[in-house]
Amino acid sequence: MSGVSDYVQNIKETVSTIFEGMAITASHFMRKPYTVQYPDRMAVRVQDTLPFRYRGILEVDLEICTGCLACERLCPIDCITIVADKDPVTKQLLLSQFDIDIAKCMYCGLCSEPCPTGSIHHTTEFEGADYSLESLIRRFVKDPVIAYKPKKGPETDQRIAPILNRGMAYLDQWAIPGSDAEAKAAADKAAAETAAPGEPS
Amino acid sequence: MQTLIENLVNAGTFGKNASVVAAIVIFVLSAVVFLGVAFPFAGIVSWVERRVWARIQSRVGPNRVGPNGFLQWLADGVKHVCKEDIIPDDSDPTLFKTAPYLVVLAFVLPWAVMPFSSSLILADLNVGILYMTSVTALTVVGVLMAGWASNDKWSLIGGIRSAAQIVSYEIPAGLSIFPVVLMTGTLSMQGIIRAQGWAPQHWFLFANPFTFIAANILYISALAEGNRTPFDLPEAESELVAGFATEYSGMRYLFFFMAEWGNLFIIGAIITTLFLGGWQCPHITKNVVLMNVLQLIVFNVKVLALVFLSMWIRATLPRVRIDQLMLLCWKYFVPISFVDMIGTAVWVAIWPDGNAFMGYIMLAGAIVVAVLFIQRVIFYLRRSRMEMYFNPTI
Amino acid sequence: MSTLRTEEMTLNMGPQHPSTHGVLRFVVRADGEVMREAIPDVGYLHRSIEKIAEKVGYHGFMPYTDRVDYVCAMFTNQGWGSACERLGNIEVPKRGEYCRVIAAEFNRLASHLLSIGTMGMDIGAMTPFTHAIREREMINDLIEELCGARLTFNYMRIGGVAWDLPPGWREKSNAYLDHLEPILDEFNNLLSYNKIYVERLANIGIITAKEAIDYNLVGPNLRGCGVKWDIRKDIPYSVYPDFDFDVPVGNGHWGTLGDSMDRYMVRVFEMKESVKILRQALAKIPSGPVLAKVPRNFKPPAGECQIRVESARGDMGWYVVSDGTGYPWRVHVRTGSFAAMGIIQKLSQGLMIADLVTLIASLDVIAPEIDR
Repeated sequence: MSGVSDYVQNIKETVSTIFEGMAITASHFMRKPYTVQYPDRMAVRVQDTLPFRYRGILEVDLEICTGCLACERLCPIDCITIVADKDPVTKQLLLSQFDIDIAKCMYCGLCSEPCPTGSIHHTTEFEGADYSLESLIRRFVKDPVIAYKPKKGPETDQRIAPILNRGMAYLDQWAIPGSDAEAKAAADKAAAETAAPGEPS
Repeated sequence: MQTLIENLVNAGTFGKNASVVAAIVIFVLSAVVFLGVAFPFAGIVSWVERRVWARIQSRVGPNRVGPNGFLQWLADGVKHVCKEDIIPDDSDPTLFKTAPYLVVLAFVLPWAVMPFSSSLILADLNVGILYMTSVTALTVVGVLMAGWASNDKWSLIGGIRSAAQIVSYEIPAGLSIFPVVLMTGTLSMQGIIRAQGWAPQHWFLFANPFTFIAANILYISALAEGNRTPFDLPEAESELVAGFATEYSGMRYLFFFMAEWGNLFIIGAIITTLFLGGWQCPHITKNVVLMNVLQLIVFNVKVLALVFLSMWIRATLPRVRIDQLMLLCWKYFVPISFVDMIGTAVWVAIWPDGNAFMGYIMLAGAIVVAVLFIQRVIFYLRRSRMEMYFNPTI
Repeated sequence: MSTLRTEEMTLNMGPQHPSTHGVLRFVVRADGEVMREAIPDVGYLHRSIEKIAEKVGYHGFMPYTDRVDYVCAMFTNQGWGSACERLGNIEVPKRGEYCRVIAAEFNRLASHLLSIGTMGMDIGAMTPFTHAIREREMINDLIEELCGARLTFNYMRIGGVAWDLPPGWREKSNAYLDHLEPILDEFNNLLSYNKIYVERLANIGIITAKEAIDYNLVGPNLRGCGVKWDIRKDIPYSVYPDFDFDVPVGNGHWGTLGDSMDRYMVRVFEMKESVKILRQALAKIPSGPVLAKVPRNFKPPAGECQIRVESARGDMGWYVVSDGTGYPWRVHVRTGSFAAMGIIQKLSQGLMIADLVTLIASLDVIAPEIDR
């Protein structure tokens, strides 16, 4: 007798579970697709939707590079090559080569952590396809440039100041390991809230 | 159409060579129907299926070629024609080349008895439904040949699986046709449709509980014969790479899949004819041509609904194993179809003209199930919290 | 009358087979559909990661650990970080440990979602796979916001984690967890409780508890056999003792204890436990620094240590020997997938070819973790 009830039970289970499954798939006809139509049919470029910490292709702001070689030393796969020599005449540090091999880079973010000025940083750019390996080597130094020397006070040079501000902001918000970002943001918000009622708007 | 040509021949329109001309006309017309209806249909179904699948899977699907990607099937066809046609070295070239044509033949032949409307049928054979089931079974020869001739172990397993599957499922499919034949006393497609009415309670689907079960078994068996999920074992891509089609490329590969998608129409047409009232629609006009167009539309809507259902099933269900497939056939479908057949025979003996009351009860039951189903759908929609889909940049 | 003779067939499954989860190869000896034996052949993805550790130093090896198991890289990060911390006697700040647990549990969710999704795909159900990937993608979005990468995170450092939770991230995570729980139920109704699916998995690849221990299975594979062994509970590390969660074990509800269905369901229930842990961790997280002061030129004293973390694929062991220089003398990783490969040959005897696919999927082997 149990054979017959098993037989009926099997049929019942099959029908009821398939019924449930079909209901779920039917409900998906009414749901929005989750995928995006990369690259062309998007309201915003993907690069602009990526979060601030996104580790894309590396970029170097040579204006604020101090030539300290910290990034080159920390890179686990040696994809950064920097040649920095002291100019025998002017006694200034002269950067004659700053190459990053994007083909080798594994986007770990270790190089941007020790940078004192935020010169080397990740962008949100990720489209790096190219036709040859050579063209994937990003050469940042066209002509030898003098390395940046951090000043005691705030930066006065009108040309460099915005770049340095960007770099320092990058370090503050992202690259310095262990920064208590959430607490800081909460404190900022609390400060703004307490300050707001006092100010007539 | 046959009657039209016969009338023309009898009227002496073509003079002495009447029969030759008639044959040529039929030949040309059939070619036009196949090339103009059957093949584009298979292509369009492939596009529809991909879109339906995509929406169920939270994707967008092909939408670049033509309006909403409608011409995707043409692009795919052109791509396949342009591809290199590879015949493996150690294969049996003759069989390898013949196999796709046999599969396509099995897909093309049933169109001869396709009852699109009351007069739009190529040949209203008096053994129509029998012819239909026998020619669709030709697929097995093609698939088996493809699997064997490829000289590839994965292909061979796929071919053998297909043979076992199609041959087994012929039995419940055939047995499920019997109840309808018992009730109508004819094998002709048009005869079966004429025995039904346009209203759902006059369809054989709701004629009595036995025909309802027979319809379900026939549909599932037809899916199995058409190698559709949950019975797509011969080409199970996660087990057998691509099954019997592993070694094929280019146009030959396309033929297999064109036949698969085209067979959806055949499956739908068989079910529609036998159980869903075929082209039957209310007599709202005396104009014969208009009436035929209306019937054509009704028939196609029913068939396409079934095609859609099979896509939906394919997107929902996982695949069964070969022994479970056989078990399902021999332990469930075959005995149940036998019971069905006997039950219908008893039913017909008691109520030779059918029981109209039963039709209404069964229709009401079906509506209750549909309402329950819609409730479940709404339940899942409510719970899905659409606002949680991040990055709303589509 | 001669008896019917069947010929044994040798099939080569992989390394490019669609369902071997990476570059795995199986030599299948089959009699028709029934397998005599499936012999796994590993090593197609060997990248000598352990040797690389000896050349790049302690800090520099962290991004390489992502590649040991790229499906759940947080655990490899955590294992390497903890091992170095124990060698160098570094204490991780409390908030750092919480960040680690949150990231790791999110990663466990992502890994299990991938696992159960591919399980569905191997049985031919494409829709559950894309649904699982969709949910995993949302987790990836969250993790991307946390650490800037979607797969190879490099989130943790020796002494804590690299970056604190971004502003507003906790609210977003909580909202995501609210979304995930009904989706898991829906997933169960769509796939796990489907009769066809249950029939495919139940009573297939049965491992007894003794066998599982003998073959050194770990994680969900071991718990699927009814053995209640979870490193998070039994050898607590990090801040796991702070949280209240269960360890789901297989119970043979669908068939026999220790079959593929049990292993699969253990993963499904473990995801619910992960959600529980995440909710507690997100609520309880203390403030403070997330990274201890560790010198750039990290030189732990000579010695050795062994760290065990409960990764998504089970007990992951990190054995590090230091000789006092800036480079480890020897590193060894012990992973769950490699142990799981050993039992396939035994389990496959007498199964069908279609079952081999589900067996591999139910053991949740990941090719890079096997070969390293």
